[in-house]
Amino acid sequence: MIQIISGIQNASAALDAEQTRLDVISQNIANANTTHGVDGKPYQRQLVVFESALQQAVNSDGSLQMPPLQIAKIEKDTSPPIQIYDPGNPDADGNGLVSMPNVNINEEMADLVSASRAYEANLAVVKNSHSMAMETLAIGKG
Amino acid sequence: MIEALFNQPNYLAANKALDAVVLRQQAIANNIANLETPGYKRVDLAPSFEAALEQATASGDPQQLAALKPSLAVDTSAVPGSLDGNTVHLENELMQMNQNSVAHSFETQLVSGMLQRMQMAITGKDA
Amino acid sequence: MTPIPAINPNLSSIMPNVDMMTPESGSLSTNGIQMPSELAQASSVQPPGDSFSSMLGQLVSDVNNQQAVSAQTVSALQSGQSVPLHHAVIAMEEANVSFQLMVEVRNRLLDSYQEIMRMQV
Repeated sequence: MIQIISGIQNASAALDAEQTRLDVISQNIANANTTHGVDGKPYQRQLVVFESALQQAVNSDGSLQMPPLQIAKIEKDTSPPIQIYDPGNPDADGNGLVSMPNVNINEEMADLVSASRAYEANLAVVKNSHSMAMETLAIGKG
Repeated sequence: MIEALFNQPNYLAANKALDAVVLRQQAIANNIANLETPGYKRVDLAPSFEAALEQATASGDPQQLAALKPSLAVDTSAVPGSLDGNTVHLENELMQMNQNSVAHSFETQLVSGMLQRMQMAITGKDA
Repeated sequence: MTPIPAINPNLSSIMPNVDMMTPESGSLSTNGIQMPSELAQASSVQPPGDSFSSMLGQLVSDVNNQQAVSAQTVSALQSGQSVPLHHAVIAMEEANVSFQLMVEVRNRLLDSYQEIMRMQV
């Protein structure tokens, strides 16, 4: 397959990764109040972990090395559920405490903003590369 | 004869500048893609190459220009913006991309114009 | 753009009786049409005694090389190798320009040959 537009392979991988991140965040937000899941336990927050940069991005001859960008894993946040006192809740235990999912809405919103920002930035890269390629094709024509 | 046609310093300089701009776009694209990668250090045109390009353009020596090879290097002057050591700052990258975009338009027009003028000189007609 | 087949540097296919036309100077101005000055300089650097036909032969083989380089770059791009797009486009344009140069040289030579043939003896 011809790589006519150079340098956007990693941009598309990043778009995938950020999209996944956005999905995970919206799932967290949607389940922020799920005290009683399929397994009977409160919803456990999920988070996305990116692969670390294992090596320098530049080869010794000055060319760009492009290791595939990947999300390493989606893992469950192991911090304990938040205990709230609410005796009227059907899921309250003997002491009237309800285990709420360990989702902090403010944190999720901040993550949402930064994931959207990264997504849009990578989209801008793709658009930019495309218009540069179109300019290149017009070389020599009046 | 053909060599003389395409070995003019201005034309060579424009071509090398275009090479540099295209390579830079790849570097910036890679930086933005790795915005969230822990420990990633941003890359840009090697300062040695930039200096060599400026010097060769100023000197106007066709051989020096033809021998230039654009290369990238890790940007050692970038400071980490977060605890994981990632040195990419999004605003900076976007601004650089903007500048680079305009530079690309400029160099492309330059090279294109030179080729068109060669054609006009040869055929006596507009392309 | 279809690849242009290799050009046969056999000059008789371009124009007959070239040797008849060897000018004293090395410049290419015919019928008062000036070629780009750089060409005149380059051709005047040829050692004396080098005939006009060998200069034309050199032009044809240079143009042929240019076409080959361009075809190679384009096929490398199409086969998925990492060739920058602008290299392929510029190679194509340069091949185009040099080919036009050769065609114009041929046309001018033909015109001036015919003009000479028309002269009353």
